[in-house]
Amino acid sequence: MRDGIAIARLGIPAVALVTDKFWPQGDFVANSLGMPDAPRVRLPHPVAGTGEANLERIADAIAPAIVEALVH
Amino acid sequence: MTGMLSAANEAAALDRLHELNCTDGLPVVVPTEARVARMALASGLDRDLALGEMGPGKGIATVEKVAVAAVMAGCLPDYMPLVVAAVKAVLDPRFDLTEMQATTHCTAPLILVNGPARHDIGPIACGFGALGPGHRANASIGRALRLAMINIGGGRPGESDMALLGHPGKFTYCLGEDEEASPLPPLHVDLGFAPEDSTVTVIGAEAPHSVLFGGDGDDPESAERLLECLAIGLANIVTNNAVLTGGAALVLLNPEHAAVLADAGLDRRRIAERLHGLCAHSPEALARYAAAFAPRRTQSVGHPRSCFADPEDILIAVAGGTGLYSMAVPTWCGGPHRNRAITVPVETGQHCEVPSTGHAEVNL
Repeated sequence: MRDGIAIARLGIPAVALVTDKFWPQGDFVANSLGMPDAPRVRLPHPVAGTGEANLERIADAIAPAIVEALVH
Repeated sequence: MTGMLSAANEAAALDRLHELNCTDGLPVVVPTEARVARMALASGLDRDLALGEMGPGKGIATVEKVAVAAVMAGCLPDYMPLVVAAVKAVLDPRFDLTEMQATTHCTAPLILVNGPARHDIGPIACGFGALGPGHRANASIGRALRLAMINIGGGRPGESDMALLGHPGKFTYCLGEDEEASPLPPLHVDLGFAPEDSTVTVIGAEAPHSVLFGGDGDDPESAERLLECLAIGLANIVTNNAVLTGGAALVLLNPEHAAVLADAGLDRRRIAERLHGLCAHSPEALARYAAAFAPRRTQSVGHPRSCFADPEDILIAVAGGTGLYSMAVPTWCGGPHRNRAITVPVETGQHCEVPSTGHAEVNL
């Protein structure tokens, strides 16, 4: 979340990928950094360590939401 | 001026502070205006003085807000110079507090006090049970830092403090070096401070790991075996120190173990150098036990990789009762600066005598 906001402040379109378990922390960081509406897409948890096939499934599932967040 | 809450009495005020998630879960001393004023006065600093911005909530750590934390923690006003020094230390950008508060690791700031302030303020326990219960200054100074991190920094579990479990040192984690029982110079002197200076060193630490070692006066290898035991505790292969590398760590030698090393002619630098050499793992072992972090490993295959970039990253202090047990204290060592250990001087010269407690201040 912090990285996404830092990149957005450089003028580069950015969307943060936040897993379900860390969604409240994403809200906290976005609020504390003064960008409460910073674009973010919710991922299932866990993602890391779940295997390449699962990563590809998740990527396929969320790609449209990432594009949607970037173009709006 | 910090915002004021109102309540009918002390019990209602305490309930309200718990409801607002302003406590560590234990009862606190209600920070009335009069109590906070006395605490801030004892610092000798302007109560509006900003010590810095505290993440991840970006709260401004004014002397007044730090005084609120100190009151809530149960500090005596005399402790304020140490609380202020500890807050200044964690606000040093090299400590990476914002990231440290947010990490899933269990890390907590351990406060190590050196110099005359150990006696003049508190006293700070350095010997038997120094990290345990029963020492008001140790308990409340460490707790004050935690309450500042909660209420100024905004670190709350599951929302902004994402430690998966945490550890009991997140309530309080403070001790002094037992300089009088140590065969080594005080840590702060080896760091370049004068013996008459007082310092606070903070390090983002795991819970301490007990290291059992029984010395043998007839064994010429006793010191080396002790160092090997300490290295096993300090950087076992499932610690962040072993896997991420490049951070700091702390060894708390009990006086008996310190004497084993000193009698072998080892000073702090040589102890740290030997531990630096011993705290190393083969690429093969790291590949087996820390495969998820493989991209971080860039060293050549076959050569053991040290857990520490420099021997100076291994802090060594003498504390505790004398006997079989020392403590190895691995760390988080994440963040852009790898969560450096930070030492700051304690400004006791600013200290201000405060008037005795009056009955009026207990009225809410």
